[in-house]
Amino acid sequence: MKQNYDFDIEKIKNLSQEEKVSRQKNLDLFYESGFPSKQVEDWKFTDLNLIFNKNFDNISNEVNSESSKEFKVIENFEHNFIFLTNGKIISTNFDHEEKSKILIKDFNQEEVKNIDPSNTLALLNSALAFGGFSLEITKDYKLKKPLIVYNCFSQDLKNKILNNKNSIKLNEGSELTLIDYSDNNTQNNFIKNTVDTISLDQNAILKNVLIQNSNSNGHFYKYIKSSLEGGSNYENYILSSGLKLNKIEIEINLNKDNSSCSIYSALNLLEDQHQEIKTRINHNSPNCKSYQKIKNVLNDKSKGIYQGKIFVEKIAQKTDAYQLSKALIVSDNAEFDAKPELEIYADDVKCSHGSTSGSIDSDAVHYLMTRGISKKEAVKLLINGFLNEALEKITNNELKIFLEKILERQINGH
Amino acid sequence: MLKITNLKATINEKLILKGLDLDIKPGEVHAIMGPNGSGKSTLANVLSGKNGYEIEGEISFNGMDLNELKTEERAQKGIFLAFQYPLEIPGVNTNIFLKTSLNSVRKARGEKELDTLTFLKLIKEKAKELNIDEKFLSRQLNVGFSGGEKKKNEILQMKLLEPKLSILDETDSGLDIDALRIVADGVNSYKNKENAFLIITHYQRLLDYIKPDFIHVLSAGKIVKTGSADLGEQLEKTGYANLS
Repeated sequence: MKQNYDFDIEKIKNLSQEEKVSRQKNLDLFYESGFPSKQVEDWKFTDLNLIFNKNFDNISNEVNSESSKEFKVIENFEHNFIFLTNGKIISTNFDHEEKSKILIKDFNQEEVKNIDPSNTLALLNSALAFGGFSLEITKDYKLKKPLIVYNCFSQDLKNKILNNKNSIKLNEGSELTLIDYSDNNTQNNFIKNTVDTISLDQNAILKNVLIQNSNSNGHFYKYIKSSLEGGSNYENYILSSGLKLNKIEIEINLNKDNSSCSIYSALNLLEDQHQEIKTRINHNSPNCKSYQKIKNVLNDKSKGIYQGKIFVEKIAQKTDAYQLSKALIVSDNAEFDAKPELEIYADDVKCSHGSTSGSIDSDAVHYLMTRGISKKEAVKLLINGFLNEALEKITNNELKIFLEKILERQINGH
Repeated sequence: MLKITNLKATINEKLILKGLDLDIKPGEVHAIMGPNGSGKSTLANVLSGKNGYEIEGEISFNGMDLNELKTEERAQKGIFLAFQYPLEIPGVNTNIFLKTSLNSVRKARGEKELDTLTFLKLIKEKAKELNIDEKFLSRQLNVGFSGGEKKKNEILQMKLLEPKLSILDETDSGLDIDALRIVADGVNSYKNKENAFLIITHYQRLLDYIKPDFIHVLSAGKIVKTGSADLGEQLEKTGYANLS
């Protein structure tokens, strides 16, 4: 297949000669294999090469616009925010917090080392990344309000690729709720390739919420790599419905005793939307817990994928790992693929996994209709009931109500 | 109010109702009794508009051709079916369901939809009348409810939607004596000259609490006998065997 892109390090501003050389190396490595196709095992359900060839003409990394467009913050929900345009920090606001406890700056690209050469998108990211943020929370500081990272985009991104890197570090005993909020209703096809590095020190707690706020022709790939120290807890909530293509890859390393993580997703896919969630949980230490509940509703011609792997090291005794994927297939033309995997080398562990898919319960629809509710509303109530389960563990009531509203909007097609 | 003429219903190529006639007027309570497999639940399903049945014959409800109405329209126009087995619907909050239901019906009737506060006040009152613990209202619809709680929830919905015709499909099954009394009181307190009831049951015991004006015996898809309230007691003694 023809090479449908033209990437150039020179298009990135303000690079030192040394940096150019190292970026060029990564780019050359990327060029050796290009965008992954379904022949690559990790991409067997998402043939990126094919999808990009079909939807893009000559993808370029030349992004000129850095204009800060007018933006609106979400009302009736108290929060701090970082505002990004095309991945670059435009403004920040931590008025609810003790500002000395929060360190926020542009991402320092020179800190990047050790790219996994088998992940070609990470290679490309390291070659072309600009912008991004680094966030660090000091020891024992617990943010009073959630932090929303607004991801906004300029209007000139047709056939462009954005590459961003972000890092989030929570020092010992600190707590943060971070809402990654993508707001892009552009009809322009563009690609966003993001690599997030997350590190949680002892007893730190991070809730990470991913939200897509509108229907968009965006094609997103996000790779989140996180490492957890003893007693820390990392929760993910994925509410990214609305993107034309989205693949979220989450790698979590439970490195020390009593660390725990969870991943919940609630996706309602419409039209020809395609979303994949791929997870890898590495239980590297004893007494750690992981929990995954993936819920997908597939409408129209949409396609959903879950590939989840739990890996338990020999020393990771008393591991407690749970993984469940449930899909509700509303349309005959929709598709859902699940590939759950367990790889266990310890002998005293509790691991379970399961995957189910089914259609809407017509008796339940009938029951609701006998109460005067139209078929369309009845189906929505059932979809909402199915997906809402992903939010049931959230104890902060304000956050829960906020996310329930987002989910309801996504079920209504934004 | 409800006039059924020569109703035939077929499901999966099997003829279940074989020419049923029934005439219910406002203010009346009709009971349908009959052995297993006689078509009692089919009648309830057909009246509610459940898919999958091939229908012949006429069903007229307050002058409307019921066959022309969708399930939700029947509910909006005043037909209520209390299910024999109320469905458990995971994830759907009971209060949200009840509010959506009430407002759908109110909207169709040209009435103002209720806001959350007004609704909650109303539903708490109605729940109290039926001795339903408020905490059930914030739980998932019927999930983990006991048989009795499910049936009480059905009657709660009936009282909330204020139907003209209420069809109770074996509402007495699975009820202990206290719950039976509460359900019967709920029905009796709602009964008036304007509305009507069709009570489907196997046993006399519910009819000891809700006095029917007519008892019909359904057998092999037809009404084979109609009588007054005494017929129930008679059937309790002799069974259905000698009737058909």
